[in-house]
Amino acid sequence: MAKEKLFMDACKKKFKEDPTDTHTKFYCYGGWKQSARKREFVEAANKIAKQRGIPMMNQDIGVPLGQRSWMPYQLSHTDIFVEPDDLHCVNNAAMQQCWDDIRRTVLVGLDSPHQTIERRLGKEVTPETINHYLETVNHTMPGGAVVQEHMAEINPALAYDSYVKVFSGNDELIDEIDDCYVIDINKLFPAAQAEQLKKAIGNTIMQAVRVPTIVGRLMDGGTVSRHSAMQISMAFISAYKLAAGEAAIADFAYSAKHQSINMGTMMPARRARGPNEPGGIPFGVLADCAQSDRVYPDDPGRAALEAVALGAVVFDQIYLGGYMSGGVGFTQYSTAAYTDNILEDYTYFAIDHIKDKYGGLCQLDPNNFDKLIQLGYEVNSYALEMYERYPAAMEAHFGGSQRATVAAAASGIAGSMATGVADCGVNLWYLSMLQQKERTGRLGFYGYDLQDQCGSANSLAYRSDEGLPMELRGPNYPNYAMNVGHLSGYTGIPKAAHVARGDAFTVNPLIRVAFADPALVFDFANVTKEFGRGGLREFKPAGERTAIIME
Amino acid sequence: MAYKRQFYPGTTVPAVNRRRYLDPSQNLKKLREVAMDDVVRILGHRQPGEEYKSIHPPLEEANEPDCPIRQLVTPLEGAKKGDRVRYVQFTDSVYFAPISPYQRAWMYLSRYRGIDTGTLSGRQIIEMRERDLEVIAKEFIENETFDPALTGIRGATVHGHACRLDENGLMFDAWQRYEWDAKKGEVVYVKDQVALPLDKRISVGKPDSMENLKKRTTIFRADGVDMRDDKEVTMYGLRIHKLRTLAGFQPFAMKGE
Repeated sequence: MAKEKLFMDACKKKFKEDPTDTHTKFYCYGGWKQSARKREFVEAANKIAKQRGIPMMNQDIGVPLGQRSWMPYQLSHTDIFVEPDDLHCVNNAAMQQCWDDIRRTVLVGLDSPHQTIERRLGKEVTPETINHYLETVNHTMPGGAVVQEHMAEINPALAYDSYVKVFSGNDELIDEIDDCYVIDINKLFPAAQAEQLKKAIGNTIMQAVRVPTIVGRLMDGGTVSRHSAMQISMAFISAYKLAAGEAAIADFAYSAKHQSINMGTMMPARRARGPNEPGGIPFGVLADCAQSDRVYPDDPGRAALEAVALGAVVFDQIYLGGYMSGGVGFTQYSTAAYTDNILEDYTYFAIDHIKDKYGGLCQLDPNNFDKLIQLGYEVNSYALEMYERYPAAMEAHFGGSQRATVAAAASGIAGSMATGVADCGVNLWYLSMLQQKERTGRLGFYGYDLQDQCGSANSLAYRSDEGLPMELRGPNYPNYAMNVGHLSGYTGIPKAAHVARGDAFTVNPLIRVAFADPALVFDFANVTKEFGRGGLREFKPAGERTAIIME
Repeated sequence: MAYKRQFYPGTTVPAVNRRRYLDPSQNLKKLREVAMDDVVRILGHRQPGEEYKSIHPPLEEANEPDCPIRQLVTPLEGAKKGDRVRYVQFTDSVYFAPISPYQRAWMYLSRYRGIDTGTLSGRQIIEMRERDLEVIAKEFIENETFDPALTGIRGATVHGHACRLDENGLMFDAWQRYEWDAKKGEVVYVKDQVALPLDKRISVGKPDSMENLKKRTTIFRADGVDMRDDKEVTMYGLRIHKLRTLAGFQPFAMKGE
């Protein structure tokens, strides 16, 4: 018997007709009034307009919304259904916190300052002094003062999310640190992953600094390392009883500002964005933020799909839809990749297919190009066939760009998982695009198509102006700078390659460990669930200002 | 041997239709008659009988510089007169519309000059000097690339190409620019391209049967002709991808391919 398609539940909830029906009724559902969220918006807008004396949102303006049955959206691999408005990043506190948690994280090594303290200042660094320093820095990082006696501080209720923890590949060293300051690799990761991570990290002791969410919001991404560096320097002065004016302090500040690891790399001036903003995050780094394979190590499909979801929100919705495009953004477009279990179905089909026909994960020789593109063709054809056999799935993804992204993401994930090489994955992404255009006579929007029709040529090129390993490409890679809808799949492709290989990380073991931290506000192991909780208004974000607003 | 122009590979119905649409030597079948004034009304750029708006003086009055390109290219009538550039945009349903956006682009560029096309997933816009545009718009509303139920004429709010069909088999249109006339069995436009109400109802004729549309379409679908069943089209797509990949990676490996 054929397997039940994973998108069937969502399709049945979206439409009353059978998912295979090609016909329905339109223009008879009561317009926007069929949506509880739109009714809420209208009531709120009317009240605001009356209060301020200036018109506001008015559903009688523009195209009449709700001419079709108003579709709910199921967050993939969850039971949560929400309305599309709930997945707009401005309406979804979990999505905002997801980006806040990434932006406000900066990794700062302790090796260099410890050397300065020991070799230059002749003071001893011991587990006791490190614990004392960590107690101090957990006072300064949220905004506590240590040097001057008459100093304004940050209200702790506004900065409860700010702290500093450490981790290392050296178990003996970590055993000496108070548990409350430790991100424990051994406890948080499956044994095989923990061993890989510890080996990669070695004896380095690394701080995972969480600057208050509200600081990143009030200033910008570039502020994060500065806030961190200032408070780390103050903590060293206090913990090690140093002179506030001595030259060594400048070294602490310099190293914390400039030898730290922000999540976002620098972008060129033409993007008009500062440092540590989402456009500078390489796909491999965001893939390391996604933690599904830590908690569900036997489910590589889920790991890739969670990375896709994270990429959809951080890159497509917040960065391209907000930072770069502005306006109401690209919610409808991006959500296709992480709702209704459609990409889920295609991805698990691909995994089964690889196991049945290609010998299992990572068994396909990446040099066997003809076989690789055969796999891509088969997965892509399956994906497109599902849209054709199930008109409900087709209508759920009623924009061609949505379908193009989802089919290409499934093909790309397949290429990655079959070979263990992300570049093979992105090559199949482009194969999917060309074949979809050929099959259906349509693809996405103008700019979308432009990039996807020349992408085959740069997918394996390593010449610096033409290519880059997929792990290190990002939204700022030349051809991807306006690639809305793609960046979700692009994040999933390197993740898929490395989980298929059994790797504990995609590009950076330090980032991988930092986002395993259970003290983070957003749970990076359950990305779609968190977005769903945001949509249901159950998610409690940090950075709220209620503590300083009179009721 | 002189190069003989090829238009599209393949042996299946969609491939053959693509080849025919792209080949300018093939006349497209006229299936219906819509009066030019009614086409002008649906386009919505000017009222029937109204003068064309111009954006520059007629070329013969413009003291054009002596230039070899100008000598080579004969201007369209609209360009000669200085017409503004306007558009017609068709939306094509995934449910076996006679043509789809990429084939439209290729067809227009193969058959006409003086056009600018833009291709998206559901729709395809042509921009052209206004009086020339009207001629082409009329041709493409009347010919076999148009089906009243599955092809829409839409300037804005164009989505619907991937939605299921309504109870009369019509493609979804959030602005309801057209209606089903049950008595005549015809599709009637009641709004222009940007959904401004028309002062008269304009019939664009009877939709074709799904059985016939499957013979007319350029779209490969699993419930029609699957592209996997057309070996040449499949091979052609894979080959393009392979050659492009090699060209960017190891150009020397293309030798013999």
